[in-house]
Amino acid sequence: MAQQRALPQSKETLLQSYNKRLKDDIKSMMDNFTEIIKTAKIEDETQVSRATQGEQDNYEMDVRASNIVRAGESLMKLVSDLKQFLILNDFPSVNEAIDQRNQQLRALQEECDRKLTALRDEVSIDLYELEEEYYSSSSSLREANDLPLCEAYWRLDLDTDGADGLAAPLRASPEPSAGPLQPAAPAHSHASGSGPTEHA
Amino acid sequence: MATYSLANERLRALEDIEREIGAILQNAGTVILELSKEKTNERLLDRQAAAFTTSVQHVEAELSAQIRYLTQVATGQPHEGSSYSSRKDCQMALKRVDYARLKLSDVARTCEQMLEN
Repeated sequence: MAQQRALPQSKETLLQSYNKRLKDDIKSMMDNFTEIIKTAKIEDETQVSRATQGEQDNYEMDVRASNIVRAGESLMKLVSDLKQFLILNDFPSVNEAIDQRNQQLRALQEECDRKLTALRDEVSIDLYELEEEYYSSSSSLREANDLPLCEAYWRLDLDTDGADGLAAPLRASPEPSAGPLQPAAPAHSHASGSGPTEHA
Repeated sequence: MATYSLANERLRALEDIEREIGAILQNAGTVILELSKEKTNERLLDRQAAAFTTSVQHVEAELSAQIRYLTQVATGQPHEGSSYSSRKDCQMALKRVDYARLKLSDVARTCEQMLEN
């Protein structure tokens, strides 16, 4: 299970460099910290004067403390690089993330379509009543032999002659593309064309 | 990103490691500050120094484990999966809803105009 696959040279080199950086930074931190603690010890016998020794120790501690901070920042950079590498190359988690996203989006799409279908069923009932009201009112623009859609539906149901029955509502309807199966389009065309105008 | 559970766990672990590195530097600073005093608190010194060593070893172990995991799962090939198709379908569904809302508002406006007239 934990077999080493034949990675491309660049990826393998990259991962080895990550290991090396980790080891170097940890070693640097530990060594510098240990040396600071050792340098803090006050010795009675010194080769140079006490003031000089003090200055030297001060400078050494400054440098070692800076080394510890540099090692810490280098570790932070390493963690950032590892995060980036993980996001780009950890295929199991990327696959799972994509699957989850697809599931979410598909669920949202199905919800939208379900609600639209329910809306369509409700609106078709209301449109039917609106059309009845509109075509029976005096403000409609239709001609005498022009049938409202509800009449066209009834004619279609009652008519047993398929060809004539289909032809009558199609001839009567002003829109050539609109048929008994598309109630919304003629209602809109009538509504938008004749709404604000008054007729004698 | 809360939904990417598996990826989030590893990323969260790496973020914890980042916080721990900050704590390591804090510990080291506390120890050196304590050493600089004339009268040092030995117990605090020991505690902080032990915490420093433990944290450093923990960070090294965690990062080694992460690098080992990446060595196992990395293939060198780019990942070419995407959620584009389902995103497009969802976008189209939302456009359909917007269109239906637009048309319904037209019908409502027309009905109101008819009532006013």
